[in-house]
Amino acid sequence: MYPYLLFIGITTLMIGWIWGVLYAPEDFQQGNSYRIIFLHVPASIFAQTIYYFMSICALMHIVWRVKLAAYLIKSAAPIGAMITFIALFSGSIWGIPTWGTWWQWDARITSTLILFIMYLGILTLHGSFSNLEKADRLMSILVIVGVVNLPIIKKSVDWWSTLHQPASISTSGSSIDPSMLMPLLISIVGLGFTLISLGILSSRLYILNREKNKKWVLEHV
Amino acid sequence: MFDIAFNTFDEIINMKGHGIYVWLVYSISILIIVLSFTITRMRIKNICKRININNASG
Amino acid sequence: MLRLIRTESFKLSRKLKSWLGPQLILVLVLIAFPLSIDISQYDLDKFYFSIIVISLMMTAFISTEGMFEEDFEDGSLEQEFLLEQDFYKIVLSKMLIYVFFIGIPIALIGSLFLITNGADFDDLPKVFSILCLSNILLFNLFSFGNALSIDKGAMLGVLTSLPLALPVIILLGRAVRTIQYGEGFFSIIILMSGISLIVLAIMPIVISAALKTHID
Repeated sequence: MYPYLLFIGITTLMIGWIWGVLYAPEDFQQGNSYRIIFLHVPASIFAQTIYYFMSICALMHIVWRVKLAAYLIKSAAPIGAMITFIALFSGSIWGIPTWGTWWQWDARITSTLILFIMYLGILTLHGSFSNLEKADRLMSILVIVGVVNLPIIKKSVDWWSTLHQPASISTSGSSIDPSMLMPLLISIVGLGFTLISLGILSSRLYILNREKNKKWVLEHV
Repeated sequence: MFDIAFNTFDEIINMKGHGIYVWLVYSISILIIVLSFTITRMRIKNICKRININNASG
Repeated sequence: MLRLIRTESFKLSRKLKSWLGPQLILVLVLIAFPLSIDISQYDLDKFYFSIIVISLMMTAFISTEGMFEEDFEDGSLEQEFLLEQDFYKIVLSKMLIYVFFIGIPIALIGSLFLITNGADFDDLPKVFSILCLSNILLFNLFSFGNALSIDKGAMLGVLTSLPLALPVIILLGRAVRTIQYGEGFFSIIILMSGISLIVLAIMPIVISAALKTHID
């Protein structure tokens, strides 16, 4: 399943990015620098989506003691940290030609930085304990408590006056032209499949590492 | 919608002065994603090798 | 519950450095900061509240640093759990005592320093109430971080709890604007009171779950 998902992900992502970077028309205000949107917006969306996924897994681990759920959290956290870093990095570079600054202490950017620190905190917390069952449980508790931070990130643009532009895509529609919206949506789908395949690979690695002394692993390998 | 937005290859690279930002972001992000896949796959191979060695010796 | 509150207040009152130390640190920071920057009083007045908020945050973190560690290491946490069979009461009583002994005094110190640096004396009750409510939030969040990293050092506690505390700081920034501009204070105080009550009710449950994991 993983090779098919990876193939679909990479193909869709390349279609979205090539369409957006080469074929989409230039923005009349931002010029060609807006083309970073086809990476930045999907990365921002998945930075939060991965955390929501982790919080569902954390709930499953805490309530129903599903061991696999904890493994999925531990596999997803580095991917979440990576994609949040990409979102921050791409946003910073985009800010230079658009706002004249690579960093601004406004609500959305700061909240995304907080999310990145939370991912690092989760990974550090889990790595600090030699007793992995204890580490899984504490990590799950932290993930569930941290999930309250996500609505603050999502709504921050509405609650505070900010330099960051409002959401490009929302449940009430989109503010951008279809010639730019289509490659953006395709990029979102492509990045989603790519990250799912990376997640499958990462969880395979973690499960093998955690269960390496078990009989089923010896038979499987 | 499907007309390429640039006329020459130089225009694609330069993007009216914004090319450095766009290509920097995409190249580093692609590098990070590719490295993630590569490192994960390498580590899976290493762990399978270690398990096989332990299995054979034990 | 009363027994626990009495025990915790006795324990904290005996550890002078635990409750007096953070207050002295706060005073030191609030005095030292203006000395370290060469700007006019007028400019200092404009952002002195931010200095107080950050100093309060640091003080709250320092105060809750050893909240559970000593009890965990000497086994009294486990003993209390066996007696009470319920961590929630232990954590809630600790929290109430820490907020009473440390949180309220540092809120008062912060309010007084703000009055001496340009704020109206009439705003003292507003500032004090906002700082008290924010201390309840910060103490809960930092003690959560310390409960997670009980014997792993302060650095891990900071990394886990600081991202949760930063939205509180953002809310405080909004609160100070309402005092400066004189409108919207009532709605912000209601919002902060509601959040503080929810956090005070729920956070001890979460902290209990973390402590139980350490003891199991």
